Amino acid sequence: MNDVSRATAGGPARDAPAIAQGRTAGQRTPLIDGVEKVTGRARYTADLPTGETLVGRILRSPIAHGVIRRIDTAAARSIPGVRAVITGEDFAAPYGVIPIARNEWPLARGKVRHRGEPVAAVAAIDETSAEAALAAIVLDIEPLPAYFSAAAARAADAVQLHENKAGNIEREVDQAFGDVDAGFAAADLVRERTFHYAEVAHGQIELNAAVATYEPERDRLTTQSVTQVPYYLHLTLARCLGMDSSQIRVVKPFVGGGFGHRVEPLNFELVTAALARAAGGTVKIELSREDGFLTHRGRPETDIRLKLGMKKSGAITAVDCEIVQRGGAYGGYGLVTILYAGALLHALYKVAAVRYHGYRVYTNTPPCGAMRGHGAVDARHAFESLLDIMAGELGLDPFAARRANLIVPPYRTLNDLQVNSYGIPDCLDWVEQASGWKTRRGKLPRGRGLGLACSHYVSGSAKPVHWSGEPHAVINLKLDFDGGITILTGAADIGQGSSTLLAQVVAEVLSVPLARIRVIAADSALTPKDNGSYSSRVSFMVGNAAIRAAQEMKRVLVTAAAKRLEVHPEDIEWNGDHCRVAGTDRTLDFAGAVDAALVDTGTLTVKGSWSTPPETQGGKFRGAAVGSTAGFSYAAQVVEVVVDEDTGAVAVERVWVAHDCGFAINPLAVEGQVQGAVWMGMGQALSEETQYHEGLPLRPNMLDYRVPTIVESPPIEVKLVESRDPLGPFGAKEASEGALHSFAPALANAICDAIGIRLTDLPASPDRVLEAIQARKRRERLRASIGVSAQPDPERH
Amino acid sequence: MERMPQFDLRRPASIAEAAALLAAEPGARLLAGGTDLLPTMRRGIERPPVLVDLGAVRDFSRIDFADAGLALGAGVTLSQLAMDGRIVHHHRAIAEAARSVAGPGHRSAATIGGNLCLDTRCVFYNQSEWWRATNHYCLKLGGDVCHVAPQGSHCHAAFCGDLAPALLVLGASIELCARRGARVIPLSDLYRDDGVAHLALEPDEVLVRVLVPARSPALVSGYRKARARGAIDFPLAGVACALVARDGVLAELKVALTGTNSRPILLAGTEALVGRGIDEATLSALGKLVQKQASPMRTTVTQSNYRRQVAAALAQRLVRELAGYEPSAARASMS
Amino acid sequence: MTKRLLALTVNGRMREDAVAANLLLLDYLRGTAGLTGTKQGCDGGECGACTVLIDGQPRLACITLAAACEGRVVETIESLAIEGRMSRLQQAFHEKLGTQCGFCTPGMIMAAEALLRRNPRPTDADIREALSGNLCRCTGYVKIIESVQAAAGG
Repeated sequence: MNDVSRATAGGPARDAPAIAQGRTAGQRTPLIDGVEKVTGRARYTADLPTGETLVGRILRSPIAHGVIRRIDTAAARSIPGVRAVITGEDFAAPYGVIPIARNEWPLARGKVRHRGEPVAAVAAIDETSAEAALAAIVLDIEPLPAYFSAAAARAADAVQLHENKAGNIEREVDQAFGDVDAGFAAADLVRERTFHYAEVAHGQIELNAAVATYEPERDRLTTQSVTQVPYYLHLTLARCLGMDSSQIRVVKPFVGGGFGHRVEPLNFELVTAALARAAGGTVKIELSREDGFLTHRGRPETDIRLKLGMKKSGAITAVDCEIVQRGGAYGGYGLVTILYAGALLHALYKVAAVRYHGYRVYTNTPPCGAMRGHGAVDARHAFESLLDIMAGELGLDPFAARRANLIVPPYRTLNDLQVNSYGIPDCLDWVEQASGWKTRRGKLPRGRGLGLACSHYVSGSAKPVHWSGEPHAVINLKLDFDGGITILTGAADIGQGSSTLLAQVVAEVLSVPLARIRVIAADSALTPKDNGSYSSRVSFMVGNAAIRAAQEMKRVLVTAAAKRLEVHPEDIEWNGDHCRVAGTDRTLDFAGAVDAALVDTGTLTVKGSWSTPPETQGGKFRGAAVGSTAGFSYAAQVVEVVVDEDTGAVAVERVWVAHDCGFAINPLAVEGQVQGAVWMGMGQALSEETQYHEGLPLRPNMLDYRVPTIVESPPIEVKLVESRDPLGPFGAKEASEGALHSFAPALANAICDAIGIRLTDLPASPDRVLEAIQARKRRERLRASIGVSAQPDPERH
Repeated sequence: MERMPQFDLRRPASIAEAAALLAAEPGARLLAGGTDLLPTMRRGIERPPVLVDLGAVRDFSRIDFADAGLALGAGVTLSQLAMDGRIVHHHRAIAEAARSVAGPGHRSAATIGGNLCLDTRCVFYNQSEWWRATNHYCLKLGGDVCHVAPQGSHCHAAFCGDLAPALLVLGASIELCARRGARVIPLSDLYRDDGVAHLALEPDEVLVRVLVPARSPALVSGYRKARARGAIDFPLAGVACALVARDGVLAELKVALTGTNSRPILLAGTEALVGRGIDEATLSALGKLVQKQASPMRTTVTQSNYRRQVAAALAQRLVRELAGYEPSAARASMS
Repeated sequence: MTKRLLALTVNGRMREDAVAANLLLLDYLRGTAGLTGTKQGCDGGECGACTVLIDGQPRLACITLAAACEGRVVETIESLAIEGRMSRLQQAFHEKLGTQCGFCTPGMIMAAEALLRRNPRPTDADIREALSGNLCRCTGYVKIIESVQAAAGG
C-alpha cells in the first residue's frame, strides 16, 4: 500500500555520503523507545517518582479583563499544611517566546486579560490543604470591558489590553511583491472570496504536568516537564525566576504529544518552579483537560479575504489577501503566526505578484500560539479553494490549474524564500493516478466526490526565534571503552521519533548496527543545547548535525585504525564492525578500532554542528525571516467524501496523499507522521473547534472538543516522494506538517464535487453543511418563484 | 479539576437493603456503572454524602425471555444488551441504542437502569466547579438564571439517554422498588418535562427491572443517532422507531426521540399515519410531527435548529428503512 | 474519612489495601499500586487512555471507584508481557508503529486485548468498534488498525 519512490530529482546531500539504500537510513525502523511505550514502562512527567512532594495548585481569574487591585493571600498562608503561596509579584520578569513580545507574567501582574489566567498559586502537603488555600485567597479585580472577537477588540473605542499596542493590534503586516495591479489587469479571470475558520486546539492526549525541585543549600533548580522546548524553558526559568541559568537543570521525560501546545514555555511550568523555590522542596502540578484549554496556544480564529487573478491557462497572475487572526490575550508566537500566513500563502507556486495584509489582534480569550502547520493552514484552505473555484469557471481540471503554476528548482520565491527541491510534480502525478481521478471524477454518484489540494511546509525556521548566532543544531557523540556509542542531543522526542532518526543517521554514517547506539536526549545537564521540536526542524537540522558528528567520529576511528594497522587513513576501508586495509586481508574489528582510538585520548567525544546557509535565511524586508527555511516539504492529496444531504454528515472515505520528504530516513515513521498530519487536518476540517461564552471556553473537554474517533477516520494511503534536497540530511526534509495543510481544502473541494456546494467556513460540521444545503434550496426556490430561468448555481465550481 | 468529593460507600447485597439505605440516608445516590455519576462528581456537580453501590446485588443483571415478554434487570450492562443475540433479533432498537452509547469501556460498565436515569445535560452545567462559579452557576444547579434562555424560569437541560426512546417505542414499563413496596409504571411516566427534576422517582425508589411486552413478530424496530463523531458522543438527537408494515401500509407506528427535550418523548400523533402508505407524503407528515414536538434548546455546542431538523431526517430515514421502502442511504457518520 | 480494606487481584497478584471510598481505580493503580502505565488524558470518561480490564471487560479506570472492584480481577498494560517479553499485541504496536507519543497506547492496547480475547479474528469494523472509545492524537489510527490486524495474525 505504501511505497517509496527513490528516483526523483536532486543530488546527494552536501557533506553526506551518497546512499542509494542505506543500511539503516532508509529502513523502516520501529521507534527505539517503542518498547517502553507499549509495555507501560515509559515514564511521562506525571508518572515520575518524586519522593516527598508538595501538591501545587493554580488559582485562575474569573474575570476576562480587569485591573488587579489586590490579591490577599494572608488567610491562605495561615492554613496548616500550606508551604507556599505566590503571585505575580514573586517573579522577576515577564516572559514570551518572542524576545520582542514578552508581555505575559506566569501569574498575572497588574491586569488580568482572559478568564482562566493564572493569578496565584499554592504548594501544600496534600490536595485538601492546597484547595483550602486556593479558596482562601481573596481576589479584588476591577473589571474592564472585555473583547471576545477580533472585530470587537479593534473597535475605535475599545480599551487596550496592552499599553503599547494601540487598537489592540499586536502586529500588522503589509507586504507587496511584484506589480499586483498589473497582475490583476493581465488576468483573464479575477475572483474574490471570504473565508472563516474556527479556532482549534492541539488536543495532545497527555495532560500538562510539571515537577520541580529546588535545593535551597545550593540555590539549584531541577524542572521536569511536558515541554517540546526544554531549552527555551530553561532560559525562561532563569529569566522569570531571576536565577543564574547555570543553577537550573531542565529534563524532558517521555512526552505525550505536543503539536505546538508546548513549543513555548507555559505558565504552569514557571509556576511549579517558583513554588518549589518558595517552598524549598519538590512541587508537582498536574493540570486538568480544562486547564489545557485555558492555557490554549492553538490555531486562532481567522478571517480571510482572498483575491486571485488567473490566466486561461491557470497561471496565477496576482494574489491579494487580507488575514485577521484573533490572537488572544498575549503575544506568544502571535507575530510569527500572522507572518507565516502571508509567507506561505503563495510560495507553493510560481506567482507573479502578491499583496498581503495581516492583522494579529489581542482579545480577552486564552492566548493562541503555534499549532502543527503553524500559521499556514487556514490560508492554504482559502487559496486552494479559490484555485478550484476559478479552475472550474475556466473549465480547467484542478490538476491542470496546479500544474500551470509549478516551480522549477532552484528557485527564489517573490518573498525571497529559497526552493532547492520541489516534489510537487511527482506528488500530483501519483495522487492523480492512485485516486483514479481521470476515470472517476465527474462520474461518481451524487453525494460522492473527489477533491485535490497541494501544500508545503518548512523544515525548520532558517532563523530561530532566539537568534544568538550559534549553530542551529549541535550533537555530541561519546564512545568509550565499552564500544557503545552514546548520542547526546537536546532534541526533544515527543513521539515523532527524532531519537530514532538520530540513531539511524549515526549508525548509517558509522556503518554500525543500531544496537550499538544509545540516545540520551533533552537533559540540560548532559546534552547540548537544542532549540526544540517545532517548525519541523529536528530531522533536517539536528539530522545534519548528527551526520557531521558521526563523520568526525568515523574520521577519528579510521585514523586510529590506520595507525594501529600502520597504513594511511585513506587505505582503510571502513565497514563498521570491521575495517580492512584496502586490497589486503588485514582487518581490525570495531573493538580494536575503539581501543586504538582511546589509547591516546581516553574517552572519545566528538561534536557535530549545523547551521542554515545564509541564502536560505530569507530577504531583507521586515518579517522576512518567517517562512524562510533550508528546505520545503511538499504534498498533494486527493480526498474522497460522501455527503449525506439529509443530515449534513460528511464521511471521508479515503485519502491518497503524496508527500515529498526529500528522503525517508525512516519510512515507517514518515508514513506515520504523514498519516497523523492528514488526519489532524481532518479533525480541523470536520469536527474540531473551540467556542467561548463571554470568554469562557464552552468546549474545554474531549466530549465537546471533537477529536475524531477511529470510527470515522479513513484509510490514508501514503506515497513518499523523494526529491533529495541538496541541503537535507541524506536529502531528507520535514514530514510531519506539510501534508496537514492540504487536507481541509481537498475536503472542501471534494464536498463541492459531491453536492455542488462551496463551504467557506471550517469546520464542515454537519450543522454547517446542512445549513449550506438548505440555503441553496432557499435560493433555488427563490429563483423559481421569481421566474429566473434555470441557471447553474454559481456556487457549483 | 477538583478532587472527588468525599462520601460514604455502602454495598448492599439486595435491592431491599439498597432501598432501605436510600430511605435512611437523605441525599444518598445509587451507583451502578458510574459512567454518568462519577464524571459529574469529579466536576463537583454531584456531592452525595452516601453512595449506594449496587455492584454486589445479586440477580440484578439478568436477562429473562418469557412468553409475556422480556425482563431486563436494571443492572444489565449496555454491552450485554448490544451483544445478546435474542435482543438483536427481536428488539433491535434496544441493541442498536445500547451499541451507540459512548465506547466499549463505558458500555461494559454502564447499565440500562443508569441509562434510563441519566441526568439531563447542558453545556452550561456539565462543566467544572470553577467554570460554573465563574459563570455564576445556573438554574439547574446553584444559580437563578438559565443561560440557555435567560428570560425564562425553566431549565432546558436535555435528556440524552439512548435507551429510553428504544424502550418507549416498544411499550416498556419499569418496576420500581421502595421499602414500602414495589410498583410497575409505564416507562413514559418516569419522565417529566423539567431539566432540573426530570425523573418522577421517589427519593428512596430503586429502578429494578425493565419489562418489554411480547409483540407481534411482524414488529420491527431500530434506533438512529445523530452525533458529530462515530462514537463517544451523546446524541445531538436520537430517534427510535417500531412499526409494522403490511403491503406497503403502516399497520403500527411508534416513534420516540431523545437528546432534544428535557425528557425522552414518545411522539404524539403517529396513530394518524397508521393505515397510510409509506410514501413521501407520509414521511413528510412524520417529519412535521418530529419538528413540532422536538424542542431542542441551546444546551449543546451544536445549533439547536440542526438537532430538530436532523431528528426529523433520521425519523423519516428509519421508517423508510424499517418498512423496506428503499435501501438505506449511503454511509455517513450518522449511526 | 474512614478507609476500607479492598481485596482484589491486580495483574495476577492478590492485593489488600486500605482505600478511601472516593479513591478512583485510576489513582489506586497509579498511586497505591505504583502501576503508572495506565494514563489519565481527560477529566473523566472522555478519552479512553485509562482503559484497563476488569473481569476481562474493558473499563475506564478514571470513572471507576477502587472500592467497587472488591473481589474483581483487574489487568493493566503491565500484565501483558509474557515472561518479560512483549505480547503479540505489544510487539505489533511496536513494530507497526501503532504508537507514536505512546500516551494513549496502554489504553489502546488494553481495549484491543479485550477484543482479541473475545474475537481472535476481528474485521476492520470490529477493530474500529472495539477501539472507538480510545482517542489517539498522533497516528490517525491507520497504523493502530494495522497493528491489531497484525497481532491477530493477519
